[in-house]
Amino acid sequence: MATAISTAPDLAWTKKISSPQELASFRQAILASLDPNAPRIRVCCGTGCKAVGSLDVLEAMKTAVAAAGVDVHVMPEVKRTGCHGFCSRGPLLTLEPQGLFYQRVKSEDTAEIVQKTIIGGEVIPRFLYKPPGSKEAIAKVSDIPFFAKQTKLVLKRVGRIDPFDIRDAIAAGAYEGIAKVLAEMTPQQVIEEIKVSRLRGRGGAGFPTGVKWESCAGQAGRHYVICNGDEGDPGAFMDASVMEGDPHAVLEGMAIAAYAMGSDRGFLYVRMEYPLAVQTLTAAIRQAEDLGLLGQNILGTDFSFRVSVSTGAGAFVCGESSALMSSLEGKVGRPRAKYIRSTEKGFRDSPSNLNNVETYANVPEIILRGGQWYTTYGTERSTGTKVFSLTGNVHNVGLVEVPMGTSLKDIVFGIGGGVPNKKELKAVQTGGPSGGCIPIPSKFIDINVGFGKLAEIGSMMGSGGMIVMDENTCMVEISRYFINFLVEESCGQCTPCREGLTRMREILSRITQGEGREGDIELLEEIGQFTNNFSLCGLGTSAANPVLSTIRYFRDEYEAHIRDKKCPAGVCKPLYYYEIDSEKCTGCGVCRKRCPAAAIEGEKKKPHTIHQELCIKCMECYRNCKFDSIRIM
Amino acid sequence: MKIIMDGKEVAAERGQTIVEVARRNGVYIPTLCHVPALEPAAMCRVCTVELVEGRRTRLVTSCNYPLRGDAEIRTDTPMLRQNRKVLIELLASRCPDAEALKELAERYGADLNRFPAEDRQCIMCGLCARVCERVGGNVLALCGRGVEIRVDTSFGRLSPTCIGCASCVQICPVNAIRIEDMDGERRVIVRGKEASRVQLRKCTSCGIHFGPVIDLGPVLDRAGEGGVPAFNASVCPACSRRSLARRLAERHFEQHAVESPDADEEG
Ligand SMILES: Cc1cc2nc3c(=O)[nH]c(=O)nc-3n(C[C@H](O)[C@H](O)[C@H](O)COP(=O)(O)O)c2cc1C
Ligand code: SF4
Ligand code: FES
Repeated sequence: MATAISTAPDLAWTKKISSPQELASFRQAILASLDPNAPRIRVCCGTGCKAVGSLDVLEAMKTAVAAAGVDVHVMPEVKRTGCHGFCSRGPLLTLEPQGLFYQRVKSEDTAEIVQKTIIGGEVIPRFLYKPPGSKEAIAKVSDIPFFAKQTKLVLKRVGRIDPFDIRDAIAAGAYEGIAKVLAEMTPQQVIEEIKVSRLRGRGGAGFPTGVKWESCAGQAGRHYVICNGDEGDPGAFMDASVMEGDPHAVLEGMAIAAYAMGSDRGFLYVRMEYPLAVQTLTAAIRQAEDLGLLGQNILGTDFSFRVSVSTGAGAFVCGESSALMSSLEGKVGRPRAKYIRSTEKGFRDSPSNLNNVETYANVPEIILRGGQWYTTYGTERSTGTKVFSLTGNVHNVGLVEVPMGTSLKDIVFGIGGGVPNKKELKAVQTGGPSGGCIPIPSKFIDINVGFGKLAEIGSMMGSGGMIVMDENTCMVEISRYFINFLVEESCGQCTPCREGLTRMREILSRITQGEGREGDIELLEEIGQFTNNFSLCGLGTSAANPVLSTIRYFRDEYEAHIRDKKCPAGVCKPLYYYEIDSEKCTGCGVCRKRCPAAAIEGEKKKPHTIHQELCIKCMECYRNCKFDSIRIM
Repeated sequence: MKIIMDGKEVAAERGQTIVEVARRNGVYIPTLCHVPALEPAAMCRVCTVELVEGRRTRLVTSCNYPLRGDAEIRTDTPMLRQNRKVLIELLASRCPDAEALKELAERYGADLNRFPAEDRQCIMCGLCARVCERVGGNVLALCGRGVEIRVDTSFGRLSPTCIGCASCVQICPVNAIRIEDMDGERRVIVRGKEASRVQLRKCTSCGIHFGPVIDLGPVLDRAGEGGVPAFNASVCPACSRRSLARRLAERHFEQHAVESPDADEEG
């Protein structure tokens, strides 16, 4: 996949960079050979854009450029699904140096774009983006609210550099952090800087990174620096996009950590489902070693750090710290019950520091600009930025990086563009499968998203999943969905998680099937509290959150399912039916034509009716009625 | 090191687990997956207790929590009792007839029939797998995951490494494992499924089959017991007792024969 669109550079001309100071001149040389105003065309090659033919556009564009004889670098932009939040408008192009953003480009259009825009400098209106509900077309990437309202510290180079060419990364500032550390800082100073930044782990628990490093550094024995790239949350791809789009940020962060803790060996644990990340990281390590930025005697100093990529079997629970270390050791990836920190006794019983991809990616910039600078982003207790994966019923889906403390409203409406199809916003789920659902409308729309705030209201930051849910979302079904995921992913060794979650899934299934019983809600709460209290690892102790938080905020919806045998959101099939409001129905016939079961009858211009015994509840009529006359009963 | 357990100061040594300290001081804490001789795995969770840390309390499993400094522990609060009750009720569904659970059910007021029974005949304490790894042939292990987790041999095949020691049978708290000695072979049967077959030794004297044909030396070394020569004998324990008795009798007779004149005199 990646090799088809990658341009692996020929590094034969390189030799090792022999000192931290020499990195700067090396970078100058690369920059000098690049004209910042040289035209570049980036073709988005994320999954969404590829599905609508962006690879063809890429090739067509290369041909068009060659045919016109202009000197333009046409490059693929490798990002993840939904990266721009404009997948439905692909294939997408960005044109530098103007910063133009073109959408829905076809292969046939490439010659025209080269002639008019590249050579003629003219903007072609039909490719421009119009935000929903707006008549104004936006020409520049930087003016599109989705991008303009983000603050990119972690994702700053993602999509802007060729991840397979280290020169691109160096030109954009990669490895300046490690150079600074080696030239002028002691390990203690590095740790101090991270502590000043108050950076907290981005893998879920939010543990202070500087404190973790300090406790690991203080241990005797060989130290290991490990990166958690397991990213098992369904729908999450923030770590993937960093590893794939800017692998050097993670590697540099790990090297700095290794220096701070006196480690010479690191591992990147990447899930097997991320073959592209494995390729970019492997290529990045090789190139960095060739240049003396990793491996033996980094930048000519006596600091050495060898790092390699390991692939995990792709189980969600392997992301848990002790399970990850077992898996790295070649054992079954099952959490271990040990009351000893891995910073003391982790991988191979040696002091090991485990951090998340995004955590490491924050490090180089903190070192370069100082911990104090970092705290200017975010809030008192949650500093810096966080990458969220915004999905669900929202206009712009994709990765969103904002300062900690940004309000939910700014994320969902400001950046996400709000809920499509004139639906009401019902809830925002944060924190991944074991997070919680925040009810909206409520005062919570204004909460400042940070570690503490989310926990306070029964949800969590987790790794940064954020699912927007509209009025047609059934909260009972949502909690059944998440519990089902966690039952499938549980390692099964401890009683609460294995037995408790299974029983909860059973109860939730029967409620959604209309067989809920009086007392089921209390039973769910009782088991949920037990699994949260007694489970062995973080999977079990947080697994009941989706259930407990939806009961807390949407108890009436559970009651409607159990007592009235009704699913108010119109999701649980046995618990609702559609009815046509004869007052509103104009008899336009759209529903009748669309119904795949021929269940709708009616004369033209007269109110229609639904034959309940034929209806298969596919939602087709409900979705397509322009007069809002189909009701969920 | 000052350890307060349920309000009383108790005797403890640094590094001892909470369960060890409790046992030593006569404080009851339930356990289902723990025996002192094996490394704790803390899987059943029934031994969870409250560890008071300043104003916060933390839940820890007492079978594997090592006490390293002053600590206050509560072993039997209403919250713990409630959670233990749910735990037993949930476990009972997979092992409805287990005596070990009946006892605990009585203590914590658990309803063993609260959840529908799914006769899996195993409470997943993992003891058999751990003892097998330590003193047996490393045959049994926890296989699969989630609800499907079970004790099995690798790939579910008859194991070639079983030494027929029957440690698993001895340790299983719910009698889910048994051995059958038949036709010169020992079968280890885990929840009705044959896990391994080991040839039995034929007594050169009386011809019956006894202990498995296996050199137990290395295993016993691993267990730190040293080799026990009796295991490599070619005669069964009954015959070897019989021959020992015969030898003793013969020796006695020889001594007797020498000493008989005096005896006669005394008589
Ligand atoms: C079930 C489970 C799954 C986890 N999955 C991940 C993961 O995919 N990636 C990750 O970075 N951390 C994951 N974590 C958190 C890790 O255990 C660990 O806290 C984290 O990697 C530490 O890094 P940080 O301090 O940088 O956050 C998971 C934890 C649990 C309990
Ligand atoms: S909580 Fe779940 S995933 Fe964690 S150890 Fe227990 S069974 Fe395994
Ligand atoms: S006895 Fe401690 S967890 Fe089972």
